[in-house]
Amino acid sequence: MSKKVIIVGGGAAGMKCASTLRTQGVEVLLVERDRTLGGKLNGWHKLFPTLTPAGEVLDALKREVAASGAEVMTGTEVERIAANGVTVNGGRELKADAVVVCSGFDLFDARIKEEYGYGIYDNVYTTVDIERMLNEGRVALADGSAPRRIAFLHCVGSRDEKVGQRHCSRVCCITGVKQAMEMKELFPQAEVYNFYMDIRMFGPGYEEMYREAQQKYNVNFIRGRISEASPTFDGRLQIKAEDTLVGRPLKMSVDMLVLIVGMRPGCSNGRFACTEGVNLAPNGFVSPLNPFAGNVRSGAASIFYAGTVTAPKNIGESMNEGVAAAMSVVEYLNAR
Amino acid sequence: MRYFDSFVVPFAVGALILFAVVLWKYANWFIAMPRADKKRVARGIFSRRTAEAVGEVISESLLHRRIFRVNPLLGYMHASLAFGWFLLIAVGWIEAAAYGLTFSPLWVHVFFRWFGAHYGLEHAAVWGIDFAFVMDLLLLFVLSGVALAWAKRMRSKMMGMRKTTRHTPGDRIALSALWFIFPARLVAESLTAAIYDNGGFLTGSLGNGLLRLLGPEVTVSAEPVAWWLYSSVLCIFFVAMPFSRYMHIFTEIPLIFLRRYGITSSEKESSFDHFQVEACSRCGICIDPCQLQSQAGYDRVQSVYFLRDRRYGMLTESVAENCLMCGRCQNLCPVGIDLNTLRLNSRDTLRNTPNERRYEYLRGIDPSHGAGKVGYFAGCMTLLTPRTLQAMERIFSAAGEAVWWADREGGVCCGRPLKLAGETDSARRMMEHNTALFRKHGITTLVTSCPICLKVFKEDYDLPGIEILHHSEYLRRLLDEGRIGVEHGAESFTYHDPCELGRKGGIYEPPREVIRSVGELVEPAQTRENALCCGSSVANLAIDDRNQEKIAVAVAGHLEATGADAIVTACPLCKKAVSRGSTRPVYDLSEIVAGHLKESAPADTPQA
Amino acid sequence: MAINWGFNIARPRAVDMDANDLSITRRIMAQMPEFQACIACGSCTATCTAGNLTSFNFRRVHTLVRRGEYEGAYEEMGKCMLCGKCRLSCPRGINTRGLVMLIKRELEDK
Repeated sequence: MSKKVIIVGGGAAGMKCASTLRTQGVEVLLVERDRTLGGKLNGWHKLFPTLTPAGEVLDALKREVAASGAEVMTGTEVERIAANGVTVNGGRELKADAVVVCSGFDLFDARIKEEYGYGIYDNVYTTVDIERMLNEGRVALADGSAPRRIAFLHCVGSRDEKVGQRHCSRVCCITGVKQAMEMKELFPQAEVYNFYMDIRMFGPGYEEMYREAQQKYNVNFIRGRISEASPTFDGRLQIKAEDTLVGRPLKMSVDMLVLIVGMRPGCSNGRFACTEGVNLAPNGFVSPLNPFAGNVRSGAASIFYAGTVTAPKNIGESMNEGVAAAMSVVEYLNAR
Repeated sequence: MRYFDSFVVPFAVGALILFAVVLWKYANWFIAMPRADKKRVARGIFSRRTAEAVGEVISESLLHRRIFRVNPLLGYMHASLAFGWFLLIAVGWIEAAAYGLTFSPLWVHVFFRWFGAHYGLEHAAVWGIDFAFVMDLLLLFVLSGVALAWAKRMRSKMMGMRKTTRHTPGDRIALSALWFIFPARLVAESLTAAIYDNGGFLTGSLGNGLLRLLGPEVTVSAEPVAWWLYSSVLCIFFVAMPFSRYMHIFTEIPLIFLRRYGITSSEKESSFDHFQVEACSRCGICIDPCQLQSQAGYDRVQSVYFLRDRRYGMLTESVAENCLMCGRCQNLCPVGIDLNTLRLNSRDTLRNTPNERRYEYLRGIDPSHGAGKVGYFAGCMTLLTPRTLQAMERIFSAAGEAVWWADREGGVCCGRPLKLAGETDSARRMMEHNTALFRKHGITTLVTSCPICLKVFKEDYDLPGIEILHHSEYLRRLLDEGRIGVEHGAESFTYHDPCELGRKGGIYEPPREVIRSVGELVEPAQTRENALCCGSSVANLAIDDRNQEKIAVAVAGHLEATGADAIVTACPLCKKAVSRGSTRPVYDLSEIVAGHLKESAPADTPQA
Repeated sequence: MAINWGFNIARPRAVDMDANDLSITRRIMAQMPEFQACIACGSCTATCTAGNLTSFNFRRVHTLVRRGEYEGAYEEMGKCMLCGKCRLSCPRGINTRGLVMLIKRELEDK
């Protein structure tokens, strides 16, 4: 009799996990909260560092899942997980031999950092807004005009104890660099400034992209965290920071302020952690059994993790974890 | 000498030392008080205030009404000890007087059971009072208090106290002596009653029991030992009293009088502070309401320890600075000690560094803009909560108010944070600067959305002709006068009282009325005078971030437990703090008003 | 202490970590361990009410103190109004107001 696995979350990790499990002859039910598969990948325009259109990656994943014969259940939210299945909204219990949690992350809500003016002033955006506008093919200020000066602020909702986000979200640095370059592509006359505390270029090709942004695109990097933004009389935004390398406070009027928002632990993590063997790390992400050989395993033998449910990751890493989790599941099922 | 026995010597010596030390202290403190304060005493002494003070002494020093309010059993314990002992002395004196010994030495009244028996005084009821019965009843009353005090040492929860004071060795000696005074008295009086076959229902029957148990010979020889013991324990207690927590027994009385005469502590230490500091009984009621204790686990900083350290000259900055000055303990203090002001003037003593040239850079600085009779002072913190600024701007424009914006582009701090840190003199520089600005721009109303600024404007600024309003009061006025109209929505709000606005400013109703005009108000369990502090108070210079966060999370949880849709507060600092722990939206009062304005200008609506 | 002009041609340009006495720094660090967590993001200086009006740069001064460069630090810290905005801004949760007072206390008699 074939074994059945439920995958919670149909983002990059969950989809990759589903199709991989199918290649091993395992029956799969992929449960997704949203109406469509793809998770956060749906919101992206182009992916760093290759500027590959996000749709290419997403479509390939969708095709793989469709071809694999995995059962997909969208618009269904998982309430609880257990060693032998999940409970979905409405209280329905679905049985399985193993569960892979790929429920991902939530975006940091930039409105919490009130001092940056998101949701208060015109022309304060998040990186998510920029991707959306790029997808819509129309990036402009609220009045429809082109920005002449754009500031990006790194680490909004990352490495900030004041909002309970102590971790580094990793991918935002490169996102900020990528979008700065895209802005320069769209508005070659505009000045672009990235305000950062540390630039963390951890992935292959990232450092090269950073250098390209500096050298080829003339993106300016200022080491200092913006403390607040306020409207000017002529309808622009004034930002305040310290140029820490100069050692003096810096003020600048900009037309557009982009907040590079970080990842916060998924809102379902707390619910899932009620299950024996599923534990949260102090930062709120789900804590894997161990960070080396056990990073797709939980404290319960039949529950597995993949993707950003355990920590901030990029898309490639998340997909790799989908594969790794699938193989661990197979190993577990065969051993039973 | 008539009416004397050697066992009274320890008592007499102890009492002498006690009164000498106490009077010496009071005289010195009083002499060192400023002339203005002495004048207040002189003016008040023959006024109604004296009678009021007498009333308060009876209700507080004897009956401990305020402790009854905290916990009835705890109140009974204190009242039985204080009022019971007082009655024992008073009735003992009446009894001696009844036998014509009104002006005999003190010990005759105190040890009247012994003198009455040994000098063969009549023991039938005189003046129609069965003194033996009455005195036994009173002794039982006091002994019940002692028994409760013993029980409290073992299980403080019984009296509603989660944590009790950790005492110094000196306090422990005095405490032990106090515990033994009344049992010793019971045994001594019972033995005398046994020998002379008298005594009331308590001493008489215990005496008979002891006589049967010990036999006549032992009883007779034990009697003087028991009286010696009683007298000696009294002596120990009396000598320890002025140097221990029990100094409060007497000190509360002059404190009540001086307070009634209008003498207060101020930002600089003064001689009057001694009366406050030594009136602390170290009852420890201030410990439980302290969130630094319950949430942050700081155990040695509460008012009881602060006052103790200050009294014995051991005050460190780490204790003086680790206080939110939220006023929750002051609200419950049974002696009514002005704890926040004492903490403040201790900080002044430790930290004030007068420097005339400091803040010279303020000269000529005026970043304000706009013009109007109404001045709006956002406060430094409000610059980090721009939704409040935006809301106020909309409200001002809806009301058609011409506004002078004092500090929207960054101004000069109001001075209160510096004052709270103890740099009292330097804080004046800022106050002078802002005062000059207010004058220069000719405002008649000063509105601030920061309760910290509000407090200092009202207390330390000299602004005749300028009405000072918190924005909650201003908003209520606009609503009352119909200058702005709001739609009442279906949303429910719970309200967090900022300490500086509520407990320390007495402004509870205006924000609530404003909330009720736009939605439903749901009160949290701890509210108004008992409201929790957000934990981010600028008064605390020592608390670290993790502990601030812990307190904020607890407070947010408490507010969310109301089930309200959103949390409303009226202080930028509280808003920032509560947001850290809340899963529901946290608004400043102005935001919900601006959000419910009837004619909101479409140009100003925020983007989604 | 001499008037601090903000520069001094006689002073060596290098921060001489061999010559600087770090004992006060160590004392400050011991009393406020979270001070060591500063990542020099500059939020404190950017938001500073006093820094908005003067040349006061809180981050620069406390960084110099960390390096054992105490000269003029007490006077500079005296410009702080203690308003507390920096404490709200600090992403590392450093008690910046307490730090101002601590540095002043430790350098008082210097």
